[in-house]
Amino acid sequence: MAANAVGALARKKGIAAFLGKNTNLVTFVVLATILGVMTRGRSFEWPSVRNLMIAESVRAFAALGVGMIIITRGIDLSIGYVVCLVASVSASFAQTPDYMAALYPGMDFPIYLPFIAGILTGGLFGFFNGVLVAYGKLPAFIATLGTMSIARGAQLIYTKAAVVGSVKDAYKVLAQGSVGPIPNLALYVVVAAAIVWFLLRHTRRGTNFYAIGGNPVAARVSGINVEKELVVVYTFAGLLYGIAGCLLSGRLGLANALTANGMELDAIAAVTVGGISQAGGVGTVGGMIIGVLTLGIINYGMTYLGVDSYYQLLVKGFIILVAVYFYIRKYSQR
Amino acid sequence: MADDRAEYVLEMLGIYKSFPGVQALDDVSLHVRPGKVHALMGENGAGKSTLMKCLFGIYREDGGEIILKGRLAKFHSAKDALEAGVSMIHQELSNVPERSVRENIWLGREPLHRFGPITFLNHGKMHRDTAALMKRLEMNIDPADRMGGLSISKQQACEIAKAVSYEASIVVMDEPSSSLTETETEHLFRIIRDLTARGVAVIYISHKMSEIFQIADDVSVMRDGKMLGTWPASELDEDKLIKLMVGRDNTQRFPTVDSEIGELRLEVRGLTSAESRSFKDVSFDLRRGEILGIGGLVGAQRTELVEAIFGLRKTSCGEILVNGKRAVIRSPRDAIRHGIGLITEDRRGSGIFPLLSVTENTAVASLGSYIRGGLLLEHRRIEAEARRFNEQLRTKTPSMWTQIQNLSGGNQQKVLVSRWLMTLPEILIMDEPTRGIDVGAKFEIYTIMAELARNGKSIIMVSSEMHELLGMSHRVMVLCAGRHTGTLEGPEASQENVMRLATQFE
Repeated sequence: MAANAVGALARKKGIAAFLGKNTNLVTFVVLATILGVMTRGRSFEWPSVRNLMIAESVRAFAALGVGMIIITRGIDLSIGYVVCLVASVSASFAQTPDYMAALYPGMDFPIYLPFIAGILTGGLFGFFNGVLVAYGKLPAFIATLGTMSIARGAQLIYTKAAVVGSVKDAYKVLAQGSVGPIPNLALYVVVAAAIVWFLLRHTRRGTNFYAIGGNPVAARVSGINVEKELVVVYTFAGLLYGIAGCLLSGRLGLANALTANGMELDAIAAVTVGGISQAGGVGTVGGMIIGVLTLGIINYGMTYLGVDSYYQLLVKGFIILVAVYFYIRKYSQR
Repeated sequence: MADDRAEYVLEMLGIYKSFPGVQALDDVSLHVRPGKVHALMGENGAGKSTLMKCLFGIYREDGGEIILKGRLAKFHSAKDALEAGVSMIHQELSNVPERSVRENIWLGREPLHRFGPITFLNHGKMHRDTAALMKRLEMNIDPADRMGGLSISKQQACEIAKAVSYEASIVVMDEPSSSLTETETEHLFRIIRDLTARGVAVIYISHKMSEIFQIADDVSVMRDGKMLGTWPASELDEDKLIKLMVGRDNTQRFPTVDSEIGELRLEVRGLTSAESRSFKDVSFDLRRGEILGIGGLVGAQRTELVEAIFGLRKTSCGEILVNGKRAVIRSPRDAIRHGIGLITEDRRGSGIFPLLSVTENTAVASLGSYIRGGLLLEHRRIEAEARRFNEQLRTKTPSMWTQIQNLSGGNQQKVLVSRWLMTLPEILIMDEPTRGIDVGAKFEIYTIMAELARNGKSIIMVSSEMHELLGMSHRVMVLCAGRHTGTLEGPEASQENVMRLATQFE
């Protein structure tokens, strides 16, 4: 993305072409500048930037996952409740042993267990989605709507609708800590984004994802095992939701039935604003991250400016619709 | 002159229509008499369907006049045509499978109950009218049945019933009998005779010669978008008709195909489709350096056959041998592993990835050969190889990273050929390799094919263009309605013989 951008600038194509190609980045810079002016530069100060990073990190994992799925022309509505279930499962294995209301009272599990349990849960749900879409031939919208409800039910049954609290400090610090001024969460996102970037850009699998999203029939004719690749993409996304859930329970120090609710819509909105076309076959990791940050500064900026939270939803909705309106024109297949 | 006008119910005068790169209709005129069956004949792509689509308001002609019952007609949509008394049975079934027979027949003109400004469907009338229509046409179909649940021939009967129900003065039938049995065709002819007795003109398009001589009064023949003329059916016979349809001069140039034909490479034995109305018991051989043409009319199941060989369609019996060894091909991946490539007939639908670059489009089928350390794609080598193949084929593109959708049809096709060459195949199947590309690019594709054959590749070419078929193939294999009706070689491979085999219906 960055190399691409610099290259484009250097070439004779000029700034106009560069701006046309990177609408998502332009949107982000314009919004950030507006916010900067309105807050008299306060929003550019480190504490603000740091808060934004912490607030958006978990969502970034979900966006990376669903971003890849959308590249293959799919969709995933189960994210919110899967992350909620994962957060509950991971928290339940990280509760302090002397906490009386713990799900496993008196048990002191090793610190890696919540991660393993959480990530496996996420991966399992992703795998299940993938099998339904690829081999069951269910429309992704319906398949993931079903798993969404299953994840919801599983979470309520597992936690008996109670809060899973009193998480160990050793667990919390992984999500809440910092390396110097930089929050751990942001570092995890950088690592995950790098891995997804590598996958999409440098492996055969990534190329296959773009091909499947761009023209599933031609992908099959070209010898791509479309079904297998779809299972892989949903499973990989599930693993990312698993990480998101673990980090979320660590950051909050608890999990309950409301944790991560609506995250699927935030993630889908973010990648859409970031230029990942619902028609499939288009999108970059840079776009996904820019999309998350763009929605982040919209949220953060409106809160900072004291906009009523109900109006925030309204404004956010309009911004997403405008973005999609333009992208649909930009990426329409001639 | 005035009398002349009264003689015809429909006159199409000097119709022109062009599509990018093709003059589909070139000064075509047609005069149709009321109460007569007018057969419209011609090879694939002669312009019959295009002409009828102009009549029916689906296409707008570029020039010319349509005079219906003495009055100038300008149709902007099928609806206009239907209201003016022209109905049409389309070549492809065009029903809504999930709805009932009666809803399908009255679609878009449903009888309504009216209460002032409020209207709602009059199901009772719809049912009664449909039942009456079926009775009149002696069709045993329940108006309440779900359309998709009927057999193909009954669905076809419903299309016929629907066309009749408009009480039109002209009924166009584009290959109405293609999925009918002999008895059903007899039934169709009774309906046609009933219509003509009521003064309705029927324009009948079919490739089945015997039908034409059974039912038609007048026969018009088209060739290459031009109208050759109209004859009374009594003045023609099958041989004359075939000569008229195919007897055009070869204005196209072909490169000399001088490859050396070597050992046996592909043997297909008794291959039969898993689908009931597709190809049956097809056997043929293909040798090294050979170009085998597959000819036939629309519906001959040529595409289905080659897609089955490539693992895209299921077969119920038969076997495929590659280099003398039995090959199990269940998916395109298996086919590619056996050194087979397929360029599909639908470049846009199943060929290109419109938003991906030329490089990606070229490399997509052979990425497995360009991986380092079991994971990392070797972008530089991939681009270099993709560039090399595209340069060999002289693909014109601004850069290797241009989106393929920005190239012309001919250049897209070269990228697709490059894609398969990059998989290093021994057998290349090309389904309509020059469809929708301009004349200059066509010659380039032919040159590439000759060059590939010279380098020892074996090519199967499905083509609906007679000259291409005869000009490029060592042998021509002809299918008719899924059966292999013959293979022609040398001087035997003439237009007349191909057409004769292509119309050899059971």
